[in-house]
Amino acid sequence: MKQPILGAFEAPPPGKHMLGTLQQIHLPMRRFRDYEVVDYVIVGVGSAGGVLLQRLARAGFNVVGLEAGPFWDTERDWVSDEAGSHELYWEDPRVTGGTDPLALGANNCGKGVGGGSVHWAAFTPRLHPSDFEVYTRDGVGADWPITYSDIQPYYEQLELEMPVAGPAYYPWGHPHGYAYGPHPMGGVGNALIKGCTALNIPISIGGPVAILSGSHGDRPHCIYRGFCIQGCKVGAKASTLITHVPDALIKGAEIRDECMVSRVELGKHGRITGVQYFDNQGEAHFQKAKAVILSGYAIETPRLLLNSACPGFENGLANSSNTLGRYLMAQAGNVVMGRFEQPVRMYKAPPAHALTEEFYETNSKNDFARGFAIQTVGPLPIAFGKQVLAAKSAWGWGLRREMMDYNHWAAFGLLGEILPWANNRVTLSDEKDRFGLPVAHVTFSLHDNDKKLIKTAKEQTMEVMHAAGATEVVQEARYAHLVGACRMGSDPRTSVVDRFGRTHDIINLFVCDGSILPTQGAANPGLTIQALAARTADYLISQGDRIFSNDDRDMTAPPVRRELAPPETWGKGAPRFKL
Amino acid sequence: MNTRIETADPVLCPRDARTGEPSLPTREPGYYPGFSTLSQSSFWDEATRTVVNQRVATPSSMKFFNAQEWTFWTAVFDHLIPQTDRAADRRIPIIAPLDQRLYLNQTVGYRYEDMPHDRDVYKTFGIEAINQEARHRYGGEFLLLPHLHQDMILRAIHDRRPEAAKDIWKKMSVHRFWQLVMGDAIDAYYAHPWAWDEIGFGGPAYPRAYTRLERGEPEPWEVEEQRYDWLAPTSSISDEVESTAHLHTEADQSRYTHRRSK
Repeated sequence: MKQPILGAFEAPPPGKHMLGTLQQIHLPMRRFRDYEVVDYVIVGVGSAGGVLLQRLARAGFNVVGLEAGPFWDTERDWVSDEAGSHELYWEDPRVTGGTDPLALGANNCGKGVGGGSVHWAAFTPRLHPSDFEVYTRDGVGADWPITYSDIQPYYEQLELEMPVAGPAYYPWGHPHGYAYGPHPMGGVGNALIKGCTALNIPISIGGPVAILSGSHGDRPHCIYRGFCIQGCKVGAKASTLITHVPDALIKGAEIRDECMVSRVELGKHGRITGVQYFDNQGEAHFQKAKAVILSGYAIETPRLLLNSACPGFENGLANSSNTLGRYLMAQAGNVVMGRFEQPVRMYKAPPAHALTEEFYETNSKNDFARGFAIQTVGPLPIAFGKQVLAAKSAWGWGLRREMMDYNHWAAFGLLGEILPWANNRVTLSDEKDRFGLPVAHVTFSLHDNDKKLIKTAKEQTMEVMHAAGATEVVQEARYAHLVGACRMGSDPRTSVVDRFGRTHDIINLFVCDGSILPTQGAANPGLTIQALAARTADYLISQGDRIFSNDDRDMTAPPVRRELAPPETWGKGAPRFKL
Repeated sequence: MNTRIETADPVLCPRDARTGEPSLPTREPGYYPGFSTLSQSSFWDEATRTVVNQRVATPSSMKFFNAQEWTFWTAVFDHLIPQTDRAADRRIPIIAPLDQRLYLNQTVGYRYEDMPHDRDVYKTFGIEAINQEARHRYGGEFLLLPHLHQDMILRAIHDRRPEAAKDIWKKMSVHRFWQLVMGDAIDAYYAHPWAWDEIGFGGPAYPRAYTRLERGEPEPWEVEEQRYDWLAPTSSISDEVESTAHLHTEADQSRYTHRRSK
């Protein structure tokens, strides 16, 4: 049999570490010793950690990324298979509760280099300008300590670095366009177009999604195989593993994979001295560092800080505000399924390929604040089976019969903004993990505004599905994404970090991941997390060695350092629109 | 430990919708006759091919369950995901991958606070709750009851209306228990390439790609749908579904009590 141009039917030769079909990583990488005092330790090399590592290494800092999961070789480690992809998800023990407990694991938690960006569907809408002043506008939630204009250049930059495919004109929030063209439609996208068009609802077709619609550097474009959330073997879907980590390693960063950080150590002068961690043999180490950045996402970052309690911080490190672990958010992610007479075959094409944000903003006609988006999703058989179980109470022969109709169904996901509430939080459980560390206990309950929003969003999404021509429409209630629990703010009494991600309490301890978001909008958080990471990196780079010695907190905004992007993203442009 | 029906008992077989007569088990139920994802495996990447081939080839081995527990759950899964329409050598193992998961203590990465650990659910709580319901309703152990009675007991749990084992259901959410065991059944069945053939799922497509994205068109190597009508076996009551369209949140879903006309 002839080899295809992309990829191989046989395994790649030994000694090559593959990232996607064409890209190879050049090992060995630089190795720091535990006794060397590195400039930065980054805990978690995921969406934020990957970008930080790349920027700080390129700026010349000595930086080590400690990652609890493996450093993937995408050809050898990843498969086109739902059941075979569990290692991509954080499946260490946790406890979940509250009146509306969140599913965790594969639903929202990554593990391994690239983190959640390995298994995201890669929808990359921006937040809207209104998201940064929710409290001022609507009297609910919180305001951010930054505005849209602070993050806008980083949105534009990261959209090029991933890069994002989408329409030339995107009308919602701050209107903008995308450098890479939209993807062709699959069956689910066609259904969303039909339904929205019939109801006069504008729709964005073929993105925005961080999947290549044209080949880019050493990454081929999408082949529409549908296994996006099982990790993109093609290398077409962006993850920091393939977009930022290779450049970071070339520039001298180190990634220590399968290393679980157990404690952040506070020295006697009130500065962090380093982190304790267990390596892949279970042996304990201490890595000294001049500054530490936590990028472990919305559960593991607060858990680590809570587990790092010490004299002076009995309730958790950097928790003088008592807001650590609080204001955890997930988005409403109800899946609406429609059955069509004609086959759809929704497993083809990326799950993420069309959406509408027409209902994103607060609308005085609604009995709730804020709004929602409607997006395509494309569940594969196991995921769809569980949705049929939930939405139709199907079991036994009924389940077998429904599943035989798999190819007749299309699925939309609503993405609804749930507000930040103090009692939605991460605490420590009595249970311990295999390292003896208390596991996270997640408590989540919906409030009145959330429930009203979900009801309306669900009904609207079902109406679109009907309008698309579905003869039967059902839905499953669920949640998507996780943010908050170390929120940023101007007031140290009500937030954990300042607007650059530095903890209010400890001058050389930073948090940079989804946990710092004060509110979440109705946009998938991945782009915002990476944009904030690039912004924090610019801040750290502009501050230079002052971070390591100076006890002042300089709040001057840094200049945007586009020249620190991975080289293949230089020189491209994104269409801007004059408003 | 062989309570599983290995021969085609007509009472347990699905029926032809026109004649009402039981249909004989086949190699490949479903509307895509002749479709075989495995026949395409030389077009898959090696890592995927290895994982899927191992799944098909691996003989079952009992490491977590003992023989009685294995038999018990095998009987339960014969109701949750019945396979009497499949030829005996084409049935998809459910208990074996579950045994392996529990032996390795793999979970989905979280435990609901109103649930015991998965291992305890399968080792003690679940068996005891189902058997108590069986004794309460029909005066005997679950395994010894007729097929239809077994179906009735499981439907009571499905409906969140078990009448016995109140002490166990205080420690274990009925809804979560059902989601867990059904989830394991779905995880095992629809991970198998024979199930992909049954539902017309194209399966792995790297590095070859999917090229016909619109209008539900099959790839050149896929098969057009050929529907037929069928009825569930006379001895089964699991062929009913309903819609949860009116439920907004997951908690509503878990608190929901079914109202049935039957």
